[in-house]
Amino acid sequence: MFFHIVLERNMQLHPRHFGRNLRENLVSKLMKDVEGTCSGRHGFVVAITGIESVGKGLIRDGTGFVTFPVKYQCVVFRPFKGEILEAVVTMVNKMGFFAEAGPVQIFVSNHLIPDDMEFQSGDMPNYTTSDGSVKIQKDSEVRLKIIGTRVDATVIFCIGTIKDDFLGVINDPATA
Amino acid sequence: MSLAADSPVHSSSSDDFAAFLDGELSSASSAREEALDEDGQSSSPANEEAEDENASCAPEEEDEDEGDLESKRLKRPRMEQLEVAECFEESATDESLVHNSEASTSKEICTHPGSFGGMCIRCGQRVAEESGVTFGYIHRGLRLGNDEIVRLRNTDMKNLLRHKKLYLVLDLDHTLLNSTQLNHMTAEEEYLWSQTDSLQDVSKGSLFMLNLLQMMTKLRPFVRTFLQEASQMFEMYIYTMGDRQYALRMADLLDPRKEYFNGRVISRDDGTQRHQKGLDVVLGQESAVLILDDTEHAWAKHKDNLILMERYHFFASSCHQFGFNCKSLSELKTDENESEGALACVLKALRKIHHTFFDELEDSLDGRDVRQVLKTVRKDVLRGCKIIFSRVFPTQFQADNHHLWKIAEHLGATCTTELDPSVTHVVSLEVGTDKSRWAVKHNKFLVHPRWIEATNFFWQRQPEENFPVSQQKNEGSVPPNAE
Repeated sequence: MFFHIVLERNMQLHPRHFGRNLRENLVSKLMKDVEGTCSGRHGFVVAITGIESVGKGLIRDGTGFVTFPVKYQCVVFRPFKGEILEAVVTMVNKMGFFAEAGPVQIFVSNHLIPDDMEFQSGDMPNYTTSDGSVKIQKDSEVRLKIIGTRVDATVIFCIGTIKDDFLGVINDPATA
Repeated sequence: MSLAADSPVHSSSSDDFAAFLDGELSSASSAREEALDEDGQSSSPANEEAEDENASCAPEEEDEDEGDLESKRLKRPRMEQLEVAECFEESATDESLVHNSEASTSKEICTHPGSFGGMCIRCGQRVAEESGVTFGYIHRGLRLGNDEIVRLRNTDMKNLLRHKKLYLVLDLDHTLLNSTQLNHMTAEEEYLWSQTDSLQDVSKGSLFMLNLLQMMTKLRPFVRTFLQEASQMFEMYIYTMGDRQYALRMADLLDPRKEYFNGRVISRDDGTQRHQKGLDVVLGQESAVLILDDTEHAWAKHKDNLILMERYHFFASSCHQFGFNCKSLSELKTDENESEGALACVLKALRKIHHTFFDELEDSLDGRDVRQVLKTVRKDVLRGCKIIFSRVFPTQFQADNHHLWKIAEHLGATCTTELDPSVTHVVSLEVGTDKSRWAVKHNKFLVHPRWIEATNFFWQRQPEENFPVSQQKNEGSVPPNAE
C-alpha cells in the first residue's frame, strides 16, 4: 500500500555546496540518498514529493560539514498482510515462484498455487493447468494476496498466495 | 464491539481489511505513529469514534476508511486500544487463513515446510531460522525443511523419469574449464592475451578474459557439445568450490542462453559443510544423481554417485598448483583432443548409463538406482582382464587396500598376487622384475600403472602399447593430459 507521509532527515552538506544553490544541492542530495531506500519502519521510499522545511544548519566540530534537519514529503510503499498486489514473476522452480512488485520480493510456494496447476520443467519452467489454458512462467503478471511480510532494514520479504478467488495470472507474456 | 465474535458470520473481506489495517498500523509501525504524533494532530475522542466505527463493521465503512487514511494514521493508540487492535489482527489472520484454506486445510497447525525471509512459505507466520537447509542459490533467504525436501524430491523424481531424465551434477574447475588469475600467467602464456574471444557472443569462443574477476578462463574442448547432448538426458546442476560470483560468471560462459542450468548453480557459499560437497542442497533423489568431478575427496559421502574426471590443466598456474613440473598445454600451444578428450569419453559413458537405466533394467522405474547402474557399466570396462602388480605397492602394504587395486576391481578386472597363465596384464614400474620378465617371455601385456588410471578416466580399455614400462625410473614428466 502507498502512503504519503512526512519524514525527517539530518543532511550533512560539504561546504563546497554552499552558495546560492545551497537549497537545490540539499534537495538533490536528499533525493539521491533517500529515494529507492527501504526503512523497516515505513517501507520503500518511492519518491520525494516536496520539501516541508529546512531547519537551521549546524556546523560540525572539526569537519566543516554542516548538518541541516530537513522535513520532506514522500510516497512510501509498504506491503501488508492480506493486501492484494499485482506482481511480475521473476523465477519459477519446483518449490514455487518468485515475483516482484516494484522493490518487494514475493515468494509463492507450490502449497499456495492451486492444486490443478502442475510444475513443468524445461528451459522455460512453468506452472500450467491440466488443460493448458493458464500458464505461469517468467515475466507473467500475477495477482496475489500477501499472507506474510517481513520488513528488514534494507529489504522486504513477502509470502503470497494465488490459491483464492480472483487470484492468478492476469497477463501472460506468451499470449500477449 | 466484538468483531472477533461476529466475524465468521459476515466475513466480507472489507471487515478483515479494516481490522487488520488497524492492527498493522497500530502494532507494527509504532514508529510511524510517533512520527505523525509529533505533528500534534491526534485527538482521542475522534479516535475512539473511529475505533467504534471500525468495530461495528458497517461495510460502507471501507470507503470512508480508505479516504480517511490520513486521519486514521494520525490516531494515537492508547494502551487498551492497542490490545483490541491486536485481538483484531489475530482474529483477522485466523479468518484469512480460513479464507484461503483450501490451502491449509482449515485450522490445523501448519507444519512450516520451509521459510522465506524468516516466514513460513505456507502460512506466512514467523518461524525460527534454525531448522532446515538453506537454498541460497535459488533465492536469498529461502530455507526448506527436511520433509519438504523429501516431498519435492519425490514429486520431481516422477516428473523427471517421465521425461526420461536423470540428474547430473557438474564441477567447474578442471572438469569443464580451467581458469587462472591474470597475475599468475607465465611469460610463455602471454601470447594468449591476443587470442581471447569476444565476450559479445560467448557461445562461439572458448578462451575468455574476465577483467572484473582478473581472470582468464579456458573452456575445455568439446564442452559445448557435451552440455548440449547431456541436457537431453539429464537435469544439470553446477556445483563448484568457487565463490558465487565466479560460479555465476562461469555459468554465463557455458550457458549463455540459460537453457541448461536455470538457476541450478551451487557455489561453496551454498554448501552445508566446509570443504565438502553434498547432495543435500540438490533437489534430486540420490538414487538418480550422477556427479562429474575431478576431486574425489570433496564427495566423501557420495562416492557411489561420482564419476571421476581427468583434470583439465590448460594454464601453467594450474599445473603448478597440483605439483606438476611440466609445460602446460597453454605453454605447448596445444589442447585436448576435441573428439577423443575426457569429456567426449565421459559423454559416451553417460549415454551408456542412461540407456541401461531406462531401457535395459527390468524392475519398476521407481526402484532403480543409478549408482548400481554406474557400477555395472564400470565393471564392463576391463572385463576379462586379470592383473598382477609388480613393484607398485610397498612391500609391507596390504595389496588389496591400494587404490590402484581397488580401481582395477571397480573396472571389472580380477586382481591377483599369484602368477599363473591366466594373468593377462602385468602392471609394473620397472622392466627388471621377475614378473615383468615373465610377462615379456609369455607375451602378456606389460603396462605402466598409469594404464589403469587412464582406463578409469576414459571409460574404455586403453591401448596397452601407449603405456610401456620404460627403462629409466624417472619418466613421469609428461603433462597429464597432453596428446
